[in-house]
Amino acid sequence: MNTTSRIWRAAGLISAVSTLLLLCGFIYAVRDVIYPVTSEPNGAGSPGDHSLNVPLQVSAMDVTAIGDSLAKGTGDDTGKGFAKRTVEILKKQGTESKLVNNLGINGLTTKKLLPMLDEPGVQYALKQAGMIMLSIGANDLFEGGEPLQTRTELPSEAELNAKVKSATENLSEILAKLHDINPQARIVYISLYNPFSDMKELKNAGDKAVAQWNSIAAETMSSIDGGLVVPTFDLFTLQAGRYLSGDHFHPNGTGYQAIAERIVQGIGVQE
Amino acid sequence: MVKLLNNHMLSLVQNETIKMIKKKRFYVVVLVLLILVPIFAYAQMKQAEDKRETYGADWRREVQQAITDNQNSLGSDRVPEEWKKYRQIYIQQMKYYLEHDVNPAQPGGVSFTREFLDNASTLFIPLLIMGIGSDIVSSERTGGTVKMLLTRPVRRWKVLLSKLITLLLFVSLIVVSSFIICYLISGLFFGYKGFNFPVFTGFQLQGADVDMSAVHSVPQWKYLFMQAGLIWFVGIVVAILAFMVSVLVRSTAASIVIMMAALIAGNILSNMASSWTSAKYLFMVNLGLTNYLAGTPAPIEGMNLGFSLVVLAAWAAVSLVVSFLVFTKQDILN
Repeated sequence: MNTTSRIWRAAGLISAVSTLLLLCGFIYAVRDVIYPVTSEPNGAGSPGDHSLNVPLQVSAMDVTAIGDSLAKGTGDDTGKGFAKRTVEILKKQGTESKLVNNLGINGLTTKKLLPMLDEPGVQYALKQAGMIMLSIGANDLFEGGEPLQTRTELPSEAELNAKVKSATENLSEILAKLHDINPQARIVYISLYNPFSDMKELKNAGDKAVAQWNSIAAETMSSIDGGLVVPTFDLFTLQAGRYLSGDHFHPNGTGYQAIAERIVQGIGVQE
Repeated sequence: MVKLLNNHMLSLVQNETIKMIKKKRFYVVVLVLLILVPIFAYAQMKQAEDKRETYGADWRREVQQAITDNQNSLGSDRVPEEWKKYRQIYIQQMKYYLEHDVNPAQPGGVSFTREFLDNASTLFIPLLIMGIGSDIVSSERTGGTVKMLLTRPVRRWKVLLSKLITLLLFVSLIVVSSFIICYLISGLFFGYKGFNFPVFTGFQLQGADVDMSAVHSVPQWKYLFMQAGLIWFVGIVVAILAFMVSVLVRSTAASIVIMMAALIAGNILSNMASSWTSAKYLFMVNLGLTNYLAGTPAPIEGMNLGFSLVVLAAWAAVSLVVSFLVFTKQDILN
């Protein structure tokens, strides 16, 4: 048998077998996409089991941040936010610390955060943390800053009161849930500030609502073991220009750094 | 009589196959794969190393962070609506993976092969196929050998058919060898495991919503098997189109340019033609058949697997008719 004929036999046979195999794959794929076999997916874990397995070694200084744009770090040019900055300060002081996850989402309200806490991925990230940093509420009160700026009339006191009332109910539910998901973790709540404190016409109404909110938040937190409320209100009252970013709503890098320093002071790590 | 005809055809196909191998086209394809796959695998490995620094071996945190990041982009007005739809779908799918505690990107050679071929199916594999298909007829003309071929006592359509069969056989070879080479090389980087790892398929997309009712998990080897079948079909259609161009255009260079332009145009259109809905009847936007398996949205609303298959089959059928009509009727001058 000469080589040409051998090449032909090999090539012909292999390609014929390949064609047949691929044709089967094609038919199988078309059938599977158009008439899917709807069996219960059997993944690696048991299906429908929402509690993902958690490794046991969780350090007290492992941080998961959750909540609104402040948790995310919007306005910080470096993108770090107070969560990452806290971790960095701790590391600089020689404390072992890491950012597990930053689950902050721009524009999140208390109402939208509640269902998020039922998601297995979110629960997993929270369970990995020794410290949960929560920032929520500013969007409930100020709706991301936009309506207040575009509105011609200020929100009435009654309106703000109603908002505070419904949102704080959500807040206590959120705190209870967080504690439920990870009872060992320290919950650090970053309280609100009034982003409009340097605008005459918005200062008063905003100050009142924020003060009311913060006092209710502190009250709610007092019932939670190891809870901590970090004040930010005073930082922005006189120094809004220094600590606020260009959007006049979120802190800038310096502002986040100041908040992070407050957090570190509050959790009290030995230097 | 039938047997005689078959023997005749077989020997013609044999002749064409040997020509193809002697011209070393297939070796070039294999060589391209052997050079490119390690590059991609290395890049992917570097990326995985970076991620491992942040997340350790904890894929759940990584997936959750991906979900959060995508959710954040949904709130931005600067993100086009079309992208938001993609991201909403992605978020829902990733949540589904988390709920079932399945890693959507389990590291391993098999997963790499799956992802690589998902990305390669619309441009890279068709390009390789074009490499052998574009000159299968025109080269005979450029070289003047077509006269030799046609002066033999064989009817013209048989000559053409033998070329077509050979081309289709080589399409199968290219698809299979892409999978094998990809697996063997990426295995060096990521290990050879992962055949039984579950993959979810059957996400039904309705706008930005994902219907999970038909989702089921298949072992990864079965997924690869289906994926290969779909890529093969795309390859066959591209080969037939390249074949037609090769019949119509005398110069090999010109026929390669024409096919390449069509394929690249398809890739660009897929990215931006979502508002021009009639573009869905063009063959080149329908090449992403594996999208339907993975649950990635089709480039244009209203496309589904059945639709794409019909469009591709129609283009292939017309090309076949044109190829045979032209080849049997045209004069060979030079």
